[in-house]
Amino acid sequence: MPRSNAWLRRALVFGTTFALVLAACGGSTTPSPTTTVTQGPGDTPAPTEEVDHSGGTIYMLTAAEEFDDIDPQRAYTGEDLAFFGATIMRSLTSFIYDPDAGVANTLQGDLATDTGTASPDATSWSFTLRDGLTWEDGSELTCEDVKYGVSRTFANDVIVNGPTYAVQYLDIPSNPITDENDPKSGFLSAYYGPYDGTGQADFDKAVSCDGKTITFKLNQPVADFNYTVTLGFSPVPDPTGHPDLEDTVEQYTLRPWSNGPYKIDEYTQGNGGHLILVRNDAWDPASDPIRKAYPDVWQVDFGIDAKVMDQRLIASEGDDAFAIQYGSIQPENLSTIFTDPETPNADFAGRATSDFDPFARYYWIDTNKVSNEKHRQAMAVALDRDAIRANLGGDYAGALGDGVIKPNLGDQYAETGMWTDLFGQAVPDTGDPEFAKQLIADSGEPMPALTWDYPQTAVRDQEAAILVASFGLAGITVTPNPIPPGQYYGIVFDDEAAHEFGWAGWGPDWPNASTVIGPLFTDKGGWNLSRVHDEDFVQGVQDALAELNHAAQAKMWQDLNKLAMERVYVIPTTFGLSQTFGGTKVQPLYQWAPYGSWPYAEMYVTP
Amino acid sequence: MAGYIVRRTLGMVVLLVLLTLAVFVLFSLMPADPARLTCGKACSPQIIENNRHRLELDIPPVEQYQRFVSGIFFGRTYLADTKRPLECEAPCLGYSFLRNQEVLDLITKAAPVTFWLAIGGFVTWMTVGLVFGIVAALKRGRWQDRTVMGIALVGYSLPSFFIGLVLYFFVILFLHLLPNPQWKAGMPFKDLGGFVQTMLLPWITIATLNAAFYMRLTRNQVLEVFGEDYVRTARAKGLKERTVVVKHALRAGLTPIVTAAGLDLAYLLGGAIITENIFNLPGLGSLAIGSVIASDLPLISGITLIAATLIIVANLVVDLLYAVVDPRVRVG
Repeated sequence: MPRSNAWLRRALVFGTTFALVLAACGGSTTPSPTTTVTQGPGDTPAPTEEVDHSGGTIYMLTAAEEFDDIDPQRAYTGEDLAFFGATIMRSLTSFIYDPDAGVANTLQGDLATDTGTASPDATSWSFTLRDGLTWEDGSELTCEDVKYGVSRTFANDVIVNGPTYAVQYLDIPSNPITDENDPKSGFLSAYYGPYDGTGQADFDKAVSCDGKTITFKLNQPVADFNYTVTLGFSPVPDPTGHPDLEDTVEQYTLRPWSNGPYKIDEYTQGNGGHLILVRNDAWDPASDPIRKAYPDVWQVDFGIDAKVMDQRLIASEGDDAFAIQYGSIQPENLSTIFTDPETPNADFAGRATSDFDPFARYYWIDTNKVSNEKHRQAMAVALDRDAIRANLGGDYAGALGDGVIKPNLGDQYAETGMWTDLFGQAVPDTGDPEFAKQLIADSGEPMPALTWDYPQTAVRDQEAAILVASFGLAGITVTPNPIPPGQYYGIVFDDEAAHEFGWAGWGPDWPNASTVIGPLFTDKGGWNLSRVHDEDFVQGVQDALAELNHAAQAKMWQDLNKLAMERVYVIPTTFGLSQTFGGTKVQPLYQWAPYGSWPYAEMYVTP
Repeated sequence: MAGYIVRRTLGMVVLLVLLTLAVFVLFSLMPADPARLTCGKACSPQIIENNRHRLELDIPPVEQYQRFVSGIFFGRTYLADTKRPLECEAPCLGYSFLRNQEVLDLITKAAPVTFWLAIGGFVTWMTVGLVFGIVAALKRGRWQDRTVMGIALVGYSLPSFFIGLVLYFFVILFLHLLPNPQWKAGMPFKDLGGFVQTMLLPWITIATLNAAFYMRLTRNQVLEVFGEDYVRTARAKGLKERTVVVKHALRAGLTPIVTAAGLDLAYLLGGAIITENIFNLPGLGSLAIGSVIASDLPLISGITLIAATLIIVANLVVDLLYAVVDPRVRVG
């Protein structure tokens, strides 16, 4: 799931220098890849039913100038989904609020009474809505509203940037018009969405309402479709049931209608702008067992200089005591706030967290261009991963990765053994040039010259130098190919333009490895930079997608992750950590695993 | 005089047309693909092509430019071949698909912030620069002169990001003399106190560097004029020193200062990127840097056009002011 790009770019600009300093100081200790919640001894106890934490304002400070998208069918940034999901935008299912990743990644009914009912072959899913669901004007939220929201995904001429799982999974034929000169060829499906209306009958067959029950018919087995509906399946008022409310598309990009405990009072984008959420009086707490809705107001302040933001939260005075950071701590302030990546200093105990972000960083290898598996293994073995991690910021940057599934995916993760025994012997963190040479010799072919594509930043320029040096020790020649970040993915997805291997990062769309293994190593997912076309692997993915038993499915993803590492479709580098903090009078402060965000739905201010 | 103004205005229009063309060509040559940038994570070649069509990048660049210029005078319609077209009324500077708003609306919201920032900063630095510059000239070689020039050297040496951050940390975070700056719609008319509290440090930040420059410039100009024959003549006639300085020396010495001040003000009206970012002011500078980072072509074009217009108009005004300030200059 993409993080807020605006913030990332600013963070890169401001943080590069300091990251270099930290890199020089970075230790070699590898943090254990387990979720860390840095709650101090003086923490305020978690809210209980007896204590009323209602009232006050929670401020969110961010360097970003706006949310990427807040239209229910376009929102696709993890942090944004977590915030809006907790406040104004409910979905059929959502996740449990708990500091423990294993618990937090567990699904629960939200608008729906439960986590849905699948047909035995997982090609049909039904969800029944709760009683008492309303829109912000007090009108009833109906099954038709959910259906209408889903239908908007298909209007990809005007609804853009959002998740397209509805198009991918619903049993609707593909667009019959393939002539590129026909403007209608741009639609992704035979259904053109509710505004154009073409193919409406196909959509009505795939998505049907029976009273409060909505049923989705799928074109393939999808065992975790009840996770899928957390993304892009949120309801939008059906104009048929709300004749006074025309869906002009544009208005929902800035002010979607709320069905949660808050509604938008003001949204001004840009530096100095705000998003202010106030209570939605039409929301019925009885219809919502998930959201505590403690503060009266949420205020997001945009465009705060990252250095100033840190200093304001360190001081934590006035309104800033009720503020939380929507982003990460600047590298130069980490030693002020933390003793080590797992322990905040005494002054920050209970209000600073260091935990896994959603992303696994890795180098993809084009398996067509480096087709010899031994060669790919030699590349993995030769890499000085410890130096790469130190260059990124050492212990604070993250743990060394051993696959593409991160430990914060809970039961989906298992160690792959990539650096212990997967290649027949242990591989030190600093790489093993001699072993790499042996693998090349065993391959029976000379190692091809390699070019490494990467989106250029100062830190990655240094990473390139480390890579060239460590591969050079094993006799592997690498030419770095820096690419302007804005163009990077446009180039590396082009089969002709992309080189042998390159930099990438990936976070799951929901806490199930189906949104990791499938997208990264099969053509259906759209992020197959390794150009994997192994039929047995694709079949393995299909089998896992169809497995309704969650534990069994998790085991299948673990096995596929291990298989992908054995075949070295990618070289995992780091499981990224991020550090963030809040003011002294806002609780609870921990990173909520499903989106690597604050636990917005249960946050409150203290006196 | 009238003919001069007409000629300059026509020249200004030609310059603006060339400028819009240059911006357009430069952006077309940019390697980043806006269609890919607005594609999101669930991206496929088909979606990229859709975006290219939606952003009107699939039509020839000449036609894109024509639509841009025509939109300024007659307005334009985006997504015309969909059931949800977007109308952008004249003067339409474009539509930002990244921010989902018309460019003119974005600029209109940001411009007042920059205007008040620039005006306040300008008044501050001109007042400080002129007064201290004249004092230094009058007290040439004495401790007052050395002190002023020393302050100017320090002020000139400090970059605005350093001054801004230091002021923020000490005045707001450490000493709590002012609240966190927070621009609100309707300022300064709705909340004058809050406006002054918000703008005080940004004004000082902007003024510090410029005031230092104007102290030195004013001092040098006044000293140069003091050496002119007509000043000696004025003194020989027995005029009061105050009259010599104010009426004769300063007026003649102001000409290059007016030139520099006019252009500096116009430049500032185009946005003070660093100061606006540090103090979280939603002005044109912040808008510009955000649009460049996001490769938001319509917004970049719109801001460039506005900023360039300001510079060109300021040039014209400065030229006209020469005649007012210095009677030796005649336009026409």
